[in-house]
Amino acid sequence: MKALTILATIVIPLGLIIAAVPENTTKQYKLTAEELLEEVKSGTQFMYPDDVADMIIQKDPTLQLIDVRSADEYEKFNLPNSINIPLVDVLNEEWEEYIDQEVKLNVFYSNGTNDANQAWMITRQLGYENNYVLQGGVNYWAETIMNPEAPKTGSPNEEIIKYNLRKGAGMALGGAAIETQTTTKAAGPKPPIAKRKKKKSVQGGC
Amino acid sequence: MGPLIVNEIISENANMLFAFVIGIGFGFILEANGFSSSRRLAGMFYGYDATVLKVFFTAAIVGALGLLFLSLFGQIDLNYIYINPTYLYSAIGGGVIMGVGFILGGYCPGTSFSAVAIGKLDALAYVGGIFIGIFLFTEGFPLWEEFFNAKYLGSPLMSDVLGTSRGVFTLLLVIVALGMFWVAEKAEKRFARDDYKLNQKELKF
Repeated sequence: MKALTILATIVIPLGLIIAAVPENTTKQYKLTAEELLEEVKSGTQFMYPDDVADMIIQKDPTLQLIDVRSADEYEKFNLPNSINIPLVDVLNEEWEEYIDQEVKLNVFYSNGTNDANQAWMITRQLGYENNYVLQGGVNYWAETIMNPEAPKTGSPNEEIIKYNLRKGAGMALGGAAIETQTTTKAAGPKPPIAKRKKKKSVQGGC
Repeated sequence: MGPLIVNEIISENANMLFAFVIGIGFGFILEANGFSSSRRLAGMFYGYDATVLKVFFTAAIVGALGLLFLSLFGQIDLNYIYINPTYLYSAIGGGVIMGVGFILGGYCPGTSFSAVAIGKLDALAYVGGIFIGIFLFTEGFPLWEEFFNAKYLGSPLMSDVLGTSRGVFTLLLVIVALGMFWVAEKAEKRFARDDYKLNQKELKF
């Protein structure tokens, strides 16, 4: 048989197959270890509780809170409109459309930041975008948003504004602030939230 | 999994070792195909020996099919394959210079080293010419820097230019290559020379 005939019988079928199948567009290893380290060092994955609280209050439709704690812990306490994807299930196909998407802004949270950070690292390594970590986790959330510590008298103005904002957010989200203050100041919750809206644009700039 | 070096499956040093082994293999295949004969290379231009065309285009279609199949089965990420950027004028100018050198000397840069390895003196002279060329180009670079960098096109792909998928373009390439081989074999008979014998054996099965 002629070499050309042999070559043709091999490469033409292969060419037909490769022309017919869809192109493989899966991203395999999107980030190198160095690139991931760079992101971790700069802490770009963190979302601050104040920003998240603000988005919740504004009912921002792009926000998707994802609780990576166990189902039990999620039942006991969770942030408004959050969904539960326990860390061990993060690679489960069932959740893939939630964590690999380009529309919403996913914020992972756990008690501290460890589990949420792990979830973020896994998804980042897969090349998924739009995933973030709630800075400080639920514990810090409870401290800052639900039970903000009142600044001392004579604190700088920003401190007081921040406190008011957090107090308002805490009240709107059903934090402890309501229980302690509803009796004395029924109209309390509203003004701080209105104020917060103004402040937000400035905060965004920082 | 691939590319091996980008995904840190092998180290930089292992990469150099692989490059060395592949380089030796490449040189061996060139020599084994008779590319160290300047008559064979020049035969491409006169039509009596189209081995150069056949070997290089076979390599291209096998490489293209191989990469696409590896990508299809998730073994290589084509986003990480280095694609030489196109500087249009440089490419044309370089192509003309190399083509002239090819037909005058009977070698291309790679095959000249292959021929030096088996002790051919004309190839040694050719390699000397390569170094003179490199020296002139480097020393005179400011003179042709503008030309060198002109018409930068990035790294365009033919499949994108034609608006097809890579697979369809590869199929077209395969068909065109086989057509060229067929024409080339006709040419080999048409322009055959009495003093030159094609040393191609028929494969028997």
